[in-house]
Amino acid sequence: MELTFLFSQFMSGLTYGLMLFLVASGLSLIFGVMNILNFAHATFWLIGAYICFTFWSLMEAHQFALWVSIPLAALATAAFGWVCEVVLIKRIYKRELHEQLLITYAMALILGDLIKIIWGPTDRLIVRPSIIQKPIHLFGAPIDSYFIFVILIGFAVAIGLWWFLKYTKYGHIVKAAVFSREMVGALGIPIPKIYTWVFTLGIFIAGLAGGVQSAIGSVTLGMDTNIIIQAFCVVVIGGFGSLMGTLVGSLIVGEVFSFAILYWPDGAMVLIFVITAAILIVRPWGLFGTPLRA
Amino acid sequence: MKFRKVFIGVFVLLMAGIFCVSSIQAADPYNLGVALGFTGTGTLYSKDQMEGIQVAVDEINAKGGFLGKYPVKLFQQDTQTKPDVGVRTVKDLILRDKVRAVINDYSSAVAVAVKPICREYKVIHIAAISNSENITKINYSPYTFQVVPNSYMQAKAASYAVAQLAKKKGWKEYVTLASDYEWGRSTQEEVVTDLKKVAPFLKVKKELWPKLGETQFASFVTSIMSMKPDFVYACLASKDNVTFTEQAKPYGFFDKIPYVGSMQSVTELITEAKTMPRGLVAISRAPFFAHMDIPMMANFVKNYRAKYKGKYPSDWAVMGYDAVYALKQGVEKAGSIDNDKVKDAMKGLAVDLTRGKLQFRPIDNQLRCSSYVGIVRDDPKYPFPILAELIEIKAADSERPEAEIVAARQAEKK
Repeated sequence: MELTFLFSQFMSGLTYGLMLFLVASGLSLIFGVMNILNFAHATFWLIGAYICFTFWSLMEAHQFALWVSIPLAALATAAFGWVCEVVLIKRIYKRELHEQLLITYAMALILGDLIKIIWGPTDRLIVRPSIIQKPIHLFGAPIDSYFIFVILIGFAVAIGLWWFLKYTKYGHIVKAAVFSREMVGALGIPIPKIYTWVFTLGIFIAGLAGGVQSAIGSVTLGMDTNIIIQAFCVVVIGGFGSLMGTLVGSLIVGEVFSFAILYWPDGAMVLIFVITAAILIVRPWGLFGTPLRA
Repeated sequence: MKFRKVFIGVFVLLMAGIFCVSSIQAADPYNLGVALGFTGTGTLYSKDQMEGIQVAVDEINAKGGFLGKYPVKLFQQDTQTKPDVGVRTVKDLILRDKVRAVINDYSSAVAVAVKPICREYKVIHIAAISNSENITKINYSPYTFQVVPNSYMQAKAASYAVAQLAKKKGWKEYVTLASDYEWGRSTQEEVVTDLKKVAPFLKVKKELWPKLGETQFASFVTSIMSMKPDFVYACLASKDNVTFTEQAKPYGFFDKIPYVGSMQSVTELITEAKTMPRGLVAISRAPFFAHMDIPMMANFVKNYRAKYKGKYPSDWAVMGYDAVYALKQGVEKAGSIDNDKVKDAMKGLAVDLTRGKLQFRPIDNQLRCSSYVGIVRDDPKYPFPILAELIEIKAADSERPEAEIVAARQAEKK
């Protein structure tokens, strides 16, 4: 096997992993802070993709359409997420985990139907600007030029979240809320407001990921049901609530899947589930999680 | 006294008249169930199929319905492209809505699951677009009919085209890429088996099985490129096909590796008109442009476009339309809407459809229809590319020999 092709395969895995990171990081953040297992998270990701398509079709004639549509989709999805938090999610904070799962699963089905009503069942395709229609060659390996953008966005979100949690006042509050929401509340910090904004931030990242995904392939109904399972695998491997864990978990899933396609295609998905199951047995709090959260 | 007689006479006549009118009006409608995957992976094709069915029903009802007296009443249900839901919804259609026939499904897995239900309740079951040959080959039901070229026929058609190209271009090794479910698996298996016979010099380098609904194909794309096969044989379903094409294009994949056998129905040709790589060697099930010389097809296209704002009918709409007309001709042959008589009448029946005069094969109720292979190319007549240099592979050249069906059924019993 030529090294250039191994590199090409590595880059495919890296992109896949970072795409998963964009979806899973919001899921992990929301669970870590709010203890909400949001099964509808990937549906917000899909909504982001459809909104991105809508913005793009309004500006289709312009080369900048995609670049403007992606942040707009993230903002619009976040706004919708904010409404959902205020109207529904706020009411299930204290429910049992299985009830939360049922409610958010129902939410995923309802939102799925809403997508069908608004955008219809037809596949939606974004025509990429000419600058990213051709491959680029890195070390002789062909790479989808758009993937460079995906990789940059993935790492930018990872660094941005790390910086937010480590160096900002609100980040410190969010981290404190993970361990003792009662203590944070006792200090006069309005916990419900913090929850609302954390949820909105998680959905913003999902919307951003959806916008980025929309130019990778067609936007279709049901895409969310596939990726949510993989996103759960990522957070189980990395550890719920751990940013570093989510990043590492995403990269493991992406690279394992990518190289398995090359050497053992039949076992590509199986391997991911085997790793997930092994982590659950040996270290149920994940690679970077803490036993407290398990 | 005379007045009394006249009064009684008028009364009797009036009652007789009312009875006649009411008996005409009370002719039961023919309840036709449509159980398709309106949500899930089959959404797009199912919606198109429903439109074709609706056009056929409108035309037939405009002439009084089946046999001119049974207006067709449609009952539509969503199977969510899931076998368990499909079984439940079809049972609902049969028991609650009293349907006499069911057109079902997008997914072969759903159609296979629904088949025994229809047999149990003696309801005509027409698989209009789901094409696993197991729907009609094994576990035979005399109530189930298939109006789409089945997976064996499509695979034969594809291998026929591939063998021609391989000889011409000197191809030796290939990779297969097929959706990991019933249809993808059976089609891939048929092609590989058939290619061993018709082009024994070809060798499979790797078999790839992306899951149904895969959204990230990049790893498959780079993996195939690293293997440098002479060509790729693909059987990816519906949306997966679109997603793969979109993700492979930025790698320059189609400039480097011939991509053969992907199904590009009119749906894909329309939705990807701007983006579909030209020059793909693609297979199709019932492209309308192949038969515009047949008056029934020309009429269908006209009526369909009039009803759906100028939209051209996809393969799925064509086959949905044909399913209703095949049933209509079965009812006419039987002279009754009684299901046992209709199923007997349809066995071996030659029906006039948009794709020509085609016969249901008595051994398995599979319509002896053609498959189509062509090269994706622009055509000034249409606002989307079509399959040019079209090869129509007739049923006689693509259907499974009857002896193999008999053997498969005997093996099933053991």
